[in-house]
Amino acid sequence: MKAKLTLSRRALFGTSAAVAATGTLAACGASTSGGGDFAMISTQFTPVEEKQRFEEILSEHVSTTSVSYTTMTAPEMLTQVTSQVGSGNLQFGLIGGLHGDLQPLAENLEDIDEALVETARAAGIAEDLLELGKLGGETTKYIPWMQASYVMAVNKKALEWLPEGADVNALTYEQVLEWATAANEANGSPVFGFPAGPKGLYHRFFQGFQLPSFTGGVITTFQSPEAIESWQWMKDFWAQCNPSSTNYDFMQEPLASGEVLVAWDHVARLVGAPQDNPDDWVMVPSPTGPQGLGYMLVIGGLAIPKGGDVETAAQVIEEFLKPEMQIATLEKNAFFPVVEAEIPSELPPAIQLEFDAVNAQQGADGAIVALPPVGLGEQDGELSQVFKDCFAEICLDGGDPGTVIPGKAEQVQTLLDTAEASCWDPDPAGDGVCQVG
Amino acid sequence: MTSRPDTEHGTATTAPIEVDKRPLRRHQFNRALIQLACILISLFMVVPIYLITISAFSTRQGLNEFPQPLWPKNFSTETMATFLNSTGILAATLNSLTVGIGTLVLASLVGAPAGYAIARFAFRGKDPYQLFLLFTRALPIVVLSIPLAQVFLATGLYDQPIGVILLHTALSLPTTILITSSVFLSVPIDAEEAARIFGCTPVGAFLRVVLPLALPGIAASAIFTFVTSWNEVLGATILTFSNRTLPAQVLSTLGDSPVAFRFAGGLAMIIPSIIFIAIMRKYLLNMWGTTIR
Repeated sequence: MKAKLTLSRRALFGTSAAVAATGTLAACGASTSGGGDFAMISTQFTPVEEKQRFEEILSEHVSTTSVSYTTMTAPEMLTQVTSQVGSGNLQFGLIGGLHGDLQPLAENLEDIDEALVETARAAGIAEDLLELGKLGGETTKYIPWMQASYVMAVNKKALEWLPEGADVNALTYEQVLEWATAANEANGSPVFGFPAGPKGLYHRFFQGFQLPSFTGGVITTFQSPEAIESWQWMKDFWAQCNPSSTNYDFMQEPLASGEVLVAWDHVARLVGAPQDNPDDWVMVPSPTGPQGLGYMLVIGGLAIPKGGDVETAAQVIEEFLKPEMQIATLEKNAFFPVVEAEIPSELPPAIQLEFDAVNAQQGADGAIVALPPVGLGEQDGELSQVFKDCFAEICLDGGDPGTVIPGKAEQVQTLLDTAEASCWDPDPAGDGVCQVG
Repeated sequence: MTSRPDTEHGTATTAPIEVDKRPLRRHQFNRALIQLACILISLFMVVPIYLITISAFSTRQGLNEFPQPLWPKNFSTETMATFLNSTGILAATLNSLTVGIGTLVLASLVGAPAGYAIARFAFRGKDPYQLFLLFTRALPIVVLSIPLAQVFLATGLYDQPIGVILLHTALSLPTTILITSSVFLSVPIDAEEAARIFGCTPVGAFLRVVLPLALPGIAASAIFTFVTSWNEVLGATILTFSNRTLPAQVLSTLGDSPVAFRFAGGLAMIIPSIIFIAIMRKYLLNMWGTTIR
């Protein structure tokens, strides 16, 4: 008995069409990067709208070639760059990222041509920023691209609880604590928030704001009595913060929804809060401590992968340094120019708030600039983790700063020894490996 | 023949027949309980999808309201439109479908025969082999990623859906083999032997008798394979660059985006897989009737 395998003509046609389509697509795929001639990868402007706006900026201001813009997380970028440079088969020509993102890539980056560094210098990029671009080595590895900092966003509703005599534009750490306590009591629930979520940037607060402001340093004063005092401040302050703060990654969301009224964060993560009703908001510099106003600079840079098309990349970088492009980035995506550029008098309201706060912060008396860790390489993330651990043990688990902090000092020293890193601002640069003090 | 109670008052010619209604009531009660359980399980699945849907189509200010309304009060397509207009969303969806279907086909072509072999034949080392299959899942993909990417770059498979298909097939083969082997086990060997007696070749018996009976089970494993591939992020992110699958394209972006976009992106990502499951559902329907007993 021979049964016939039945297959209708329509089914046969449908199946073969599907197989053919899948096969064709599988072989070439559909381009998801916008299909430019020159590919740039970056860890910045990942949110949907920011990315769309930056793609517009690119098509408007870069004329050398059409640049496609692909965003990825820092670990993904590390994998992509390492594997592509390793195999010598590069799919991209330009890397954009924060100082800390580019640091671990150093050995996969092309040395930047001295002529391009000169162009950057002529455009008005500050000398210490160019120095950062060497990533702790002899040669320049990236050209500064844009900068930002961290400030406080304040909903005007919270101003009524401001301690008497305090100027919201020049707060001290003590006043912030008093304010938070008074507001909590008067409101019946906390009104201050802190970006201590899984993706929050709270470790930058300890590294770039709290410790420099209280101690004048970060590493060399790590376990000084002043540092212990600063952590005690943090512990008291945390007690007045909204307990949901451990879920906050970007403070603009709880601020916009009214869950919290005052918060400190990265400017690009605050700018969404005053978007709809800028008149209800003020943005103010970070607080001042006994040693001054410590603040951290955020630096984004542009680098060329080893074996990439250096010539085109250099041309594109030059266009990135043009004032118009830098201003467009400020107006649309809230990152500040690194070059000398005339800031238009009419900025979008939310950006204007931010711009004023950052300016006031940089121009404040006793401003102490803190840089993101320099020369730590792979240990960079681990150092941040130490600060996060300090926070968790002191604020979340209720540990005593006087015992927790000295316990961490050895760990920090090991990291520094492994990386053979010398001190960076605000710690005084000395000879040899930076020593925990 | 009437048994209406009010007949007592009238001229009752026949006495009502005493019927023990308890079994019927118990039956109805059990049916009601089953219905209730069905409704609860459906709600468990549908409510989150419903909530995502109304949030995806709300205004951004609307999402800040508390408590959230349970009906589309602040209807707006703005965030959804912005999300769908992002560079590469459509292309990424296409890539994801390609990869999902490609993985499904390849995994079934390789996995089903392997499952059949495990179900039908006794061979030395069969048990360790079955255990060993699962070891591919024990290796974290992070460890494999850089060498894998380099090999793919060197062979020219990098940044092509076929590369991701190969990876996803490797990842889903263990489950495909184990599921299909248990499905083949449940197809009675007698039916296959009968087909052989009536003149089928071994391949013919497999294709004409075993396969149709096993189809529902294979469909179930296909759904599982497709959904695994559809949801896989890490491998797809590492092996592609400008031809990404949907999760690789949007997941890191969505993580950093305002909640409104997370809802829009979440909805855009579940809809295609719901459609796929709806299509595959008809192959599942007679599952309990034929194979699984």
